[in-house]
Amino acid sequence: MTSGQFRDSYCPEFLITNQNSDGGWGYHPASASAVEATAWALAALVAWRGTPPPAEVCVRAREWLLKAQRADGSWPAYPGQPQGCWVTSVASQALFLKGGAGIAVERGLQWLVAAWPAEGSLWWRLRQRIFPSRVVRQDSSLKGWNWTPGTASWVEPTAHALLFLRSLPPQMLSPHAAKRRQLAERMLFDRMCPGGGWNSGNPLVYGVAGVPRMGPTAWALLALRAHAERAEIQKSLGWLEGAYSAILGAASLALAHRCLVAYRRRVSPLAPALGELYSQNRFFGNVLTIAWAMIALNEERNGAPLGAGEARAQ
Amino acid sequence: MSYAQPSLMPSFTRPASRVAIVRSGGYDHDLGALVFEALREFDLPVGGKKVLLKPNFVEPDPDGIINTHPAVVGDVREAFLRLGAESVRVAEGPGHERDTEAIVETIRLRDFLGPLPGLFVDLNLDEVHAVTLRTRASKLKQLYFPRTVLEADYIVSLPKLKTHHWVGATLSLKNMFGIVPGCCYGWPKNVLHWAGITPSILDINSTVRPDFAIVDGIVGMEGNGPIQGTPKPAGVLILGDDPVAVDATCARVMGLEPERIDYLAKAGVLLGHLQTGKIRQLGESVASVRTPFAVLPTFQKLVARNGK
Repeated sequence: MTSGQFRDSYCPEFLITNQNSDGGWGYHPASASAVEATAWALAALVAWRGTPPPAEVCVRAREWLLKAQRADGSWPAYPGQPQGCWVTSVASQALFLKGGAGIAVERGLQWLVAAWPAEGSLWWRLRQRIFPSRVVRQDSSLKGWNWTPGTASWVEPTAHALLFLRSLPPQMLSPHAAKRRQLAERMLFDRMCPGGGWNSGNPLVYGVAGVPRMGPTAWALLALRAHAERAEIQKSLGWLEGAYSAILGAASLALAHRCLVAYRRRVSPLAPALGELYSQNRFFGNVLTIAWAMIALNEERNGAPLGAGEARAQ
Repeated sequence: MSYAQPSLMPSFTRPASRVAIVRSGGYDHDLGALVFEALREFDLPVGGKKVLLKPNFVEPDPDGIINTHPAVVGDVREAFLRLGAESVRVAEGPGHERDTEAIVETIRLRDFLGPLPGLFVDLNLDEVHAVTLRTRASKLKQLYFPRTVLEADYIVSLPKLKTHHWVGATLSLKNMFGIVPGCCYGWPKNVLHWAGITPSILDINSTVRPDFAIVDGIVGMEGNGPIQGTPKPAGVLILGDDPVAVDATCARVMGLEPERIDYLAKAGVLLGHLQTGKIRQLGESVASVRTPFAVLPTFQKLVARNGK
């Protein structure tokens, strides 16, 4: 595989070829359609500024996502599962980018804004007051979003929700939604590792500084772009730049590259590096990896991050 | 398929379990022959079976101190193939890191297994099926499990010998958290923490009980495990046909009392044997390889007194 093929055609061709007959994508070719995989594949194809994919590919993906939405406005990981979860952010954003699904996006937004993590409950606060944690130290009044209902805030689902909220025009956000956005941004700053960067959401355990990880760091930085001047962001970008050359996974590489491009940092072209990693494991045929790589390649070409100026009229 | 096996039997009705302790000088000391000979002793019913190895791959780990060593994974795979298994796949769903490729590349898994696509499965992104849990230790009642796990004929839990900052020790039972798919529950699988780690361990293992366990204790981890602890050479592999008995033996080797580790004590009622009298010890004795592991102050209560 040449770097030119990576830059121009491999990713869209992979996604188009491996779309399921129902219009969705599984995490791998020929596996059952999943909301997250479908949402990222759709977002990547909609934003793509190379040879456009056949129109029906994105239309069928949008229809699949619309059908998978639950009555309460959320999306589950797989259709038919009994509760919605973090993929609601990703599905809502993909539909917003695609356009023509305004009501579904609005319902997704309402569900997200009403979905509080469990650490906000009375029981949690009471327990924390009586038995304060000696293990982890974080400000539990700063709430973001959880992976699944009934659990605590974590970095990645919070970042996904923020990225979705950020992609919407301000008039779509209620004061309550704007307040949640601010709270979640504060939560992300609170959860930053002491040396910069983020892990899944435990910056200190038993007083020992957590080791940042590429994925959570990249998502958090992308979600906090509006605060580029803050020292925490600069510190975290420094960590990411320092760790970039040692990345051994294609998904991490794509996310880190998106991040550096978004912050206008110097970074070597993505396609050759992707080509090298492809020879390792062929990305394990992972649809998410390929969608993220496609978005990163697109952003490298455009300079404009996903969700900024690509949205179609709702 | 393990899911269909009668995994819930009161301990007193079970036949004695077999656990072997094998000394190993390191990861490059003819480990393959050692593993094969040890497994052959068990006369395992794996001929023509689809075997699934579930190592403990947690995070990118260039220093090789967090995850099951890839040499152990490679040699165990080879041994099961020599014992007649139809196929032996390796599968893991890391709990914190979404980029599983980054983990397997930092530990150089390819160097020990060969090409990974088709052989290694990321359980976090596998297709899932809803399974009603066979016990009600937690409030979960049902979990989605990966198809690869449910379709395996024979499951081998293949963890590293480590202390754990929430439950004291993480061994073959706790290792099964990795079969819970991140695509449904996130990174970390926080639903298991909210349901309680001990009850979740019991519910998962009662439903998908490993048929065999092999613990990599050649170099373990002590202190603030499972990620931020200190490497601890113990120079052993501990393996057996009952994950509870294997974990109990591991705890004894680490200088911990298994009866004081909450999930192990409870697992000893319905999932396997905890008492030494119900464990047929093969290979080395516990006393001859005992290597006390340092634990966090919270877990001092687990430490065996008087060298027990």
